Amino acid sequence: MTSTAPKPSGGLPVRLLVVVLVAVVLDALASLQIARASLGWLPVPASTAAPYVDGLFQVEVGIGAFIFLGCTGFILWAVIFNRAEKYDESDGLPIEGNPKLEITWTLIPFVLVMVLAYQAIHVSETLAALGPKEKYDLESGSSPTTVERPDVRQSYGPIQVLARQWNWEFVYPNGVRSSELHLPIDQRANFQLSSEDVIHGFYVPAFRLKQDIIPGSVISYSITPTREGRYRLRDSHFSGAYFSQNQTDVVVQSADAFQAWLDQAARSPLVPGLSQATGLYADRLAKGDKGWATVKPAPPPMVNDPGTPDAPHEA
Amino acid sequence: MTTANPDLPLNHRPGHIKHDGHNLTGFIIFLCSESIIFLAFFSGFALLKITAPEWLPEGVEGLETRLPLINTVVLVSSSFVAYFAERYLHKENLWGFRALWLLTMAMGTYFVYGQYVEWSHLPFALDSGVFGGTFYLLTGFHGLHVITGILLMALMLFRSFRPNNYAKGEMGVTAVSLFWHFVDVIWIILYILIYVWQRTT
Amino acid sequence: MTSTNYDPRVLKALHPVPGAPDNWKRFFTFNTDAKVIGIQYIALALFFLLVGGLLAMVMRGELITPPADLVDPTVYNGLYTMHGTVMLFLFLFPILNGFNNLLIPTMIGAPDMAFPKVNAAAFWLVPVFGVVLMASFFVPGGPASSGWWSYPPVSIQNPLGHFINGQFLWILAVALSGVSSIMGAINFVTTIIRMRAPGMGFFRMPVFVWTAWAAQTLQLVGLPALTGGAIMLLFDLSFGTSFFRPEGGGDPVLYQHFFWFYSHPAVYVMVLPVFGIFSELITVYSRKPLFGYKFVALASFVITFLGLIVWVHHMFYSGTPQWMRNIFIVTTMLIAVPTGVKVFAWLGTLWGGKIRLTTPMLFVLGGLVNFILGGITGIMLGTAPVDIHVGNTYFVVAHFHYVIFNTIGFGIFAGIYHWFPKFTGRMYYEGLGKVHFLLTFIGATLNWLPLHWAGLYGMPRRVASYDPEFAIWNVIASIGAFMVGVAAIPFILNIVSSWARGAKAPPNPWNAIGLEWLLPSPPPAENFEDDVPTVISGPYGYGLGQPLVEDEEYYVRRALEA
Repeated sequence: MTSTAPKPSGGLPVRLLVVVLVAVVLDALASLQIARASLGWLPVPASTAAPYVDGLFQVEVGIGAFIFLGCTGFILWAVIFNRAEKYDESDGLPIEGNPKLEITWTLIPFVLVMVLAYQAIHVSETLAALGPKEKYDLESGSSPTTVERPDVRQSYGPIQVLARQWNWEFVYPNGVRSSELHLPIDQRANFQLSSEDVIHGFYVPAFRLKQDIIPGSVISYSITPTREGRYRLRDSHFSGAYFSQNQTDVVVQSADAFQAWLDQAARSPLVPGLSQATGLYADRLAKGDKGWATVKPAPPPMVNDPGTPDAPHEA
Repeated sequence: MTTANPDLPLNHRPGHIKHDGHNLTGFIIFLCSESIIFLAFFSGFALLKITAPEWLPEGVEGLETRLPLINTVVLVSSSFVAYFAERYLHKENLWGFRALWLLTMAMGTYFVYGQYVEWSHLPFALDSGVFGGTFYLLTGFHGLHVITGILLMALMLFRSFRPNNYAKGEMGVTAVSLFWHFVDVIWIILYILIYVWQRTT
Repeated sequence: MTSTNYDPRVLKALHPVPGAPDNWKRFFTFNTDAKVIGIQYIALALFFLLVGGLLAMVMRGELITPPADLVDPTVYNGLYTMHGTVMLFLFLFPILNGFNNLLIPTMIGAPDMAFPKVNAAAFWLVPVFGVVLMASFFVPGGPASSGWWSYPPVSIQNPLGHFINGQFLWILAVALSGVSSIMGAINFVTTIIRMRAPGMGFFRMPVFVWTAWAAQTLQLVGLPALTGGAIMLLFDLSFGTSFFRPEGGGDPVLYQHFFWFYSHPAVYVMVLPVFGIFSELITVYSRKPLFGYKFVALASFVITFLGLIVWVHHMFYSGTPQWMRNIFIVTTMLIAVPTGVKVFAWLGTLWGGKIRLTTPMLFVLGGLVNFILGGITGIMLGTAPVDIHVGNTYFVVAHFHYVIFNTIGFGIFAGIYHWFPKFTGRMYYEGLGKVHFLLTFIGATLNWLPLHWAGLYGMPRRVASYDPEFAIWNVIASIGAFMVGVAAIPFILNIVSSWARGAKAPPNPWNAIGLEWLLPSPPPAENFEDDVPTVISGPYGYGLGQPLVEDEEYYVRRALEA
């Protein structure tokens, strides 16, 4: 087969270099803008972790946008300016590669990802949210409280977080039980996460915090809220039929308001707490138990404060 | 058989690609893959043992090691017997091959019997917590492989009576032999993990 | 050249040509010809694509409004579980095995696979476990409903207490799928290692063969770990063992290790062949050599190796200790490097090319753009602090659908169109193909792009109902999903009517360079039969003026006259 390809010219023309330079600059400017805007793609930041996580996210969006716009721009340019004529069956430039270029585009990404990895590890270590995970032996009768290891750096806690199919219960150091998680602002709060049945996920988007709760273990976890308000707490790990409804709120309050709530709750009688699944399951039974298999929901916990689930939340 | 026009000029040597003779390659690849299932079970066993709050079930002190050790010796020796059987086959001494091959099968059968005897005397069951589950799963899965090995050997033995069975090579015997050695190595690791490495607490 | 009647010699030949229309019955038999098996895999897989797609339509119907008002939440959970399981085990893995069967022997000049009977057996396992999985819809309690991951303890709760339940059948089906895949992997790897044409050293193999080899190696190493985990799960579910049950001393997180040790490499098993398809098609439709062929070929195995040591990035918030997370952050980030090598090589191939925007090329370019986005969100997920915020939310769902459908799916469509003439002997209708592309690209973008924001704002995945603030993203996503569903219509119409009455395809409709294009369309039963060409140059020699094989004109004429 004889070659029908055009011969490549030696060296890159100046015009091309100028076009590339302009494109790179435009790409960088656009990426910077997108990175700035990306802060608005996240929920309101409400913990000390949020600035770190959001900062890392912005950097990644910026780099990602640069790469995406650059590559997509290149593809569009090629498709517009390198189209074959309708009946042109000839070959393109017979370029098999360029080892220097190939090594460059192996090394630069390598350095870039290692920098990102270092950043990510640095942020993780700084946040130091995750504490030890202790297994306890269910058969010998030990319970989460017998093996818990609170955080030495905590300012408040430990708060027992009990996850069930499908409700949440929070037990405070003074014995108060609640369906909503109240926290004092600007204090590092420690949680002891445990589950009575299956894996659940302790997820507060506003805090940038997520930790799976493993049955048979107690996991120590700490976070410092930095903004007053009401935020969503969602079960993030699939836990069965009414998993979507296993949600409650986190209420971050000033130290005084928090103490007042704690005292008020300590004086309140125990009532059934928030458990949307209970009502939904009862509806299902009333309609003839149609649908696929599910375990019965755990009974709602008896709590001092069942919360105000209809109150609007910020994130 | 080609649909090509026979009048076309041929300016090359027609190449050929062998249709067969790849069985041993395929079998070795299969064995490598199979070993990973055991690796998965071994690592699961080790992890559960190290992290379980209560490893042994109520009333169980540990495992007896004497009988399993005898079984181990028998099984490992059978690998050597199988090796010599292969040597006889290579030297075309069919009756020598068959005798030692049958001996290998007998030793393997003894191993399976010994495993059954051990199982029937154990004070715990499959559902006796994480220890019972891992013990029976590992030894049972291995035992299944031993039984499979014995059956494959029986097939090879039966085939050896076919006239001209080895005209195209002894690949079947080589493969089954390899399988037997594999089963052996797995057992050695298993024995060390389960019987030698017992918790002192 | 537009006769629609088959040459009578073809119909009466000793080895009837696999793709000939009146031989349709052969696709329902235990046929050991790799080209028949390939088409069987692809056809069956496309059927299950429709099944999985139907499940998705119901899911998106439920999710178009915040409350769970279309189906009961338990039904929704079963639907999304089966959607994932069907799409992965009954569509993606079988269709890629279909491509392997059609392309590996023809691209390397082999007559068939190394073990034809094992090949046929591996295929026929697929309808068997397909039936097992579909049957699980009808057992008391419904199908498995704990996600395609089947994490314990939820998956072993077995509320109704029956021995045969949906989860049991799920485990059985997945185990059978594993057996079928391992049988296939042994076949593909042996064939590539031992049955190449004379003159075809490893560095003269087309990139698709490299990527198929790399992918099948992952299957061989990774699948047994899943099988081990699945056996333990089955025992926990059905025989009262406690591998993953905390009450008996077991550890639920152990299952996650077994599961992801395979399932992470599994995504490379799916994407590597599509990278191969991209390499093959970009060179043809730019008429240029592949930029940096050796780097691209070797990068496939670098991905294989790295792919085996990143699995814990699926478990960053499962309770894994910080030191473990740090190791896997580093390995996960590394895998971007060989992937980037491939992407830049494709861009380099476009440079100075003579680009034709045919349907296959549109799907490739669209898939490439989508992959760059999906790859970038993947890198974000590899950094644990960000992953902790967006993990188990719709951000992850958007990421993986961007890779699985918007990249891999697009690549599969591209491959089907590109090799359709070769293996069926018919040309497809280009206009309908472009309609399919447009609808799919727009629909897929509308479906999954908005969901990134839903996840960033905190919408968890696998939910049947959600807070009202996520409604807008879900409405757009559902509209996109319905568009993707509708796009199936021009696709099916095209495939069916083209095969039945499309124009007869010449041996090399795209004027491409490759051994498969030196065969008639469709190729005879044993491809080159007893006259295998000797390869004398590397692949993708566009513009380089060298023939691919010795005496190339002979083979070209032989294919034209067959």
